[in-house]
Amino acid sequence: MELREKHKLAVTGLFIGAISVLLVVLGNPKNMGFCIACFIRDIAGSMHLHTAPIVEYMRPEIIGIILGSFAISVITGDFRPRSGSSPVLRFIIGFFVMIGALVFLGCPLRMVLRLAGGDLNAFVALLGFIAGIGIGCIFIANGFSLGRAGGATRIEGAAFPAATVFVFVVFIAFPSLFLFSESGPGSMHAPIAASLAAGLAVGILAQRSRLCMAGGIRDIFLIRDFTLILGFIAIFLAALIGNLITGSFSIGFADQPVSHDKHLWNFLGMVLVGLGSVMLGGCPLRQLILAGEGSGDSAAAVLGMLFGAAAAHNFSLASSAGTGPGVNGKAAVIIGIVILLAIASIVTVKERRNYERG
Amino acid sequence: MEDRDQKVITFHSQYAAFLFRRRYGDGCVLRPVPRALSSSCGTAAFVSGNVDAKLLDGAEAVYEKDGEGWRMIWKEQS
Repeated sequence: MELREKHKLAVTGLFIGAISVLLVVLGNPKNMGFCIACFIRDIAGSMHLHTAPIVEYMRPEIIGIILGSFAISVITGDFRPRSGSSPVLRFIIGFFVMIGALVFLGCPLRMVLRLAGGDLNAFVALLGFIAGIGIGCIFIANGFSLGRAGGATRIEGAAFPAATVFVFVVFIAFPSLFLFSESGPGSMHAPIAASLAAGLAVGILAQRSRLCMAGGIRDIFLIRDFTLILGFIAIFLAALIGNLITGSFSIGFADQPVSHDKHLWNFLGMVLVGLGSVMLGGCPLRQLILAGEGSGDSAAAVLGMLFGAAAAHNFSLASSAGTGPGVNGKAAVIIGIVILLAIASIVTVKERRNYERG
Repeated sequence: MEDRDQKVITFHSQYAAFLFRRRYGDGCVLRPVPRALSSSCGTAAFVSGNVDAKLLDGAEAVYEKDGEGWRMIWKEQS
């Protein structure tokens, strides 16, 4: 059985790596076949939540992932509406995960895709991601938990997937309501049908396999288990092979697509993402999957990421490709790490007291 | 050879799994929750033989091997 689970993870990873390369061939920005953070940021721009003209597009991949997870979980009986596990804290953590990702310029999934494209800045980010997860694991091993989720009604569980479908239908029916980039990463995209189909497939596969970019590293730290990391490795291998075939592989730090080489901030940005992901119980991709499965808490984290994306551009927190983060972005990363450490410390102390009292 | 007496204990938090392993001692291995039991990527304890109910503080459910699958034999009363 364990072998079947490993196979499922490997197949899912290989598929995501390959489909990411294909989406780039079809029009998505380089090394950005999939990027949960970048795509949520583009959606925020498209919905007028920020006005950065180069990152505005209603990315169908995100809608597809949530809808794919929702559909397959309903079919297989995994759809379990639940909420009440510190939704406000999850919103705040999701907010800072997005800030960290937009200082690095990518979520953990894009970090792997950038690495597979030869972008060595992503290796520095990977070290930061591992460090952030390691810090989060220290808190988990000492009692950190955001609390139990309780059962919720089916309409509550279906509300978030339904809302994303509603927004997408409005987008198709009345595109003039939304903003579209005319230049920059937001203007580069695969055809809508291909993006939606890819998102649906990834949503289904990631739900079945429980693929998580943070979970694999967390399990190595906490229980010395290498099951979940397989998906991470498979994505890298498939994307690497795909990039070599399509001539998109270029190794180095300089002049990489939608990136910067400010090592300290690539590292610290992903420390923030790694720490936040462990606190949330999964990476940004996993939050979309769980939201599709009916978790109101993960939906709160996704909404925090959407709000974070808007704030990142409205308050100049996001990095610029080539030049890196400004003063605001650097301050936001430091403040984000401090706030997440404070939340983790307070929650850990409280949870330990609860356990000791029995 | 497959252990037909194997049991899996799922928990509400990873910390509860660590505490269980500490209390149980040798013969307890922590691994990801089997996919057949949950779509969560939490941590479960795998043990052989009987599990003392006194050790199950923070546990969600206990399952035992049933052919190729698992059968729930204990569930926390909420």
